[in-house]
Amino acid sequence: MKIAVCVKHAVDETELKMGSDGRPILEGAIARISTFDKNAVEEALRLKAALGGEIAAFTVGTPEARKTAKEALAMGADRGTLVVADGDVDSLQTANLIAAALKKTGPFDMIICSEGASDTYTGQVPPMLAELLGVPYVGYARKIEPLAQGFRIERSLEDTVETVEAQTPLVISVVSEINEPRYPTLIQIMQASKKPLEELKESDLGAKPVASARVTSVMAQVSSRKHVMIEGSPEEAAQKLVEALSREGVL
Amino acid sequence: MKILYPKEHEEYSEVLGSLGRFMEKKLLPNSSKFDAGEMKIDGPRQELLEQGICQVSAPTEFGGLGLPFSVYASAVELLGTADASIALSIEIHNAVSEGLLLFGSSLQKKKYVPDLASGRKLASFSLTEPTSGSDTRTMATTAVRRGDEFVLNGSKMFITNAGEADLYMVFAKTSKGPSGFMVEAPNPGMKFGSDLKKLGMRGSRTSEIVFSDCRVPSANLVGEEGKGVDYAHTILHGARIVVAALNVGISQLAYEKTLSYIKERKAFGSPVSEFQLSREKVADMRTSISAGRLLYLYASRLKEMGGDFSSEASQAKVFATEMSLKVCDAAIQLHGGYGYTTDDIHRHWRDARLLTIGEGTSEVLKILIAKRELARSL
Repeated sequence: MKIAVCVKHAVDETELKMGSDGRPILEGAIARISTFDKNAVEEALRLKAALGGEIAAFTVGTPEARKTAKEALAMGADRGTLVVADGDVDSLQTANLIAAALKKTGPFDMIICSEGASDTYTGQVPPMLAELLGVPYVGYARKIEPLAQGFRIERSLEDTVETVEAQTPLVISVVSEINEPRYPTLIQIMQASKKPLEELKESDLGAKPVASARVTSVMAQVSSRKHVMIEGSPEEAAQKLVEALSREGVL
Repeated sequence: MKILYPKEHEEYSEVLGSLGRFMEKKLLPNSSKFDAGEMKIDGPRQELLEQGICQVSAPTEFGGLGLPFSVYASAVELLGTADASIALSIEIHNAVSEGLLLFGSSLQKKKYVPDLASGRKLASFSLTEPTSGSDTRTMATTAVRRGDEFVLNGSKMFITNAGEADLYMVFAKTSKGPSGFMVEAPNPGMKFGSDLKKLGMRGSRTSEIVFSDCRVPSANLVGEEGKGVDYAHTILHGARIVVAALNVGISQLAYEKTLSYIKERKAFGSPVSEFQLSREKVADMRTSISAGRLLYLYASRLKEMGGDFSSEASQAKVFATEMSLKVCDAAIQLHGGYGYTTDDIHRHWRDARLLTIGEGTSEVLKILIAKRELARSL
């Protein structure tokens, strides 16, 4: 089976610092493979181990995104493709560039993405990709089980789990609970440099659509605290606390 | 730690970055449990070995990555930040590999180094005795040749990884003088004492080893008979660079915890970090950690280039271990009462305290530095 896995070179939100104006300091911020995309790579590796085949990793971004493609290769992908974008790209442009790269280097039986990027978390690319490729989309998979024909997939929805059966080719997005991604060993990291990593330019892939969305600002979430002091005996304080929580709509 | 490697060697940074993330996720969160004896280091240490930390500077022909020694030393700095007990255990383990690469026969290298580099086997270095530490010439453990075997009798003290390791590099006196032997466990002639209760480094196992008619094949003699003291000293020169790196790592974590604490903690209406005397401590901590790091990296480079690095290795170890005590002490001071009562703060000082003693006391190393420098100036 030929599997494509999509990985994003994302700002590491755990190391992101906030400026005094409440905006994240993106200058010099550390970027690496998006956290959930490691689950996508891991799932591809598990499916390959069960069914055989080949895994190709795709990423879109600046030349620095090569690091993220290499991370996927270190984890065990067989080859990688970096689409070097001219400047920032939105979700639709990203989906178009990946779709074009998949068509150029494919065909693939399954395209695995994560539910969303750990920095922007729009979750738009996987369904857009399915639409552009004209194949079914199964989102939020928490389990992918190969059948004699096709796959049985458990979808983790807000309050329910939906089980569907689907035939390839298809696009799947996975949630983080689907697996525990492996850490590449140091030997695998060194060997990743020797695996094929192709660079494509936007011009190699035809025209991309104009941006459909524009990010106007990114702000840190601010949660303000009220600092209410409740005094009195334990019984009185408990009573006042319950009243206060009810007033705030917590209870 | 800002890792400064030239662009053409981006794989060094990738290796260190990956190890660092692994340690931060798998070791650091359990570090205080190792210290409190609530969790054993065995499992996480094994996972770390399987990641390849001891393959970093091992030659490729023995399953290593063949990267420079300074990259391995930097990896141990990161490990010192994540967990000092595991760092100590790994440092000793890898010193045996280094020793075999320097003095072992080609058969011994082929037999042992790949397993030690990949973590399939754990090693221990047995030199110190109940009545002889740095004074290796008064060693009392004996090895008597009988046919194609040596028979070892005596005891070794304060041995890290004792009872856990699969392979022991043991030094014992033959008719020709102190010599090194590879003893494979289990061996009916080798018994282990109980785990010693220590001030710090509580996650790592330390005990006595008693040898009673412990039979070792003569093929397990390391290098030439009678050269054991020279071999041990050379192995320890390399190990001292790594110990320095370990202490820089311990200091780095104590420093980082202190910075976050003093920014939060208020006294007299303002954060403790606003006071000039706090700031003096911050500046001194930061500067001395950086100095320790540069000293161990410099000694590492000299080792990579070949030639004598014994003085620089000792300088790095003396400075970094003494520095670490000062930094960890300042960390306790700036945490106030919480510093004295919180395991997770004072354990850094307790961990660091070992290494002005272990693997050559500061006093002995200062004598070594002076002797070497006086000889160089001739």
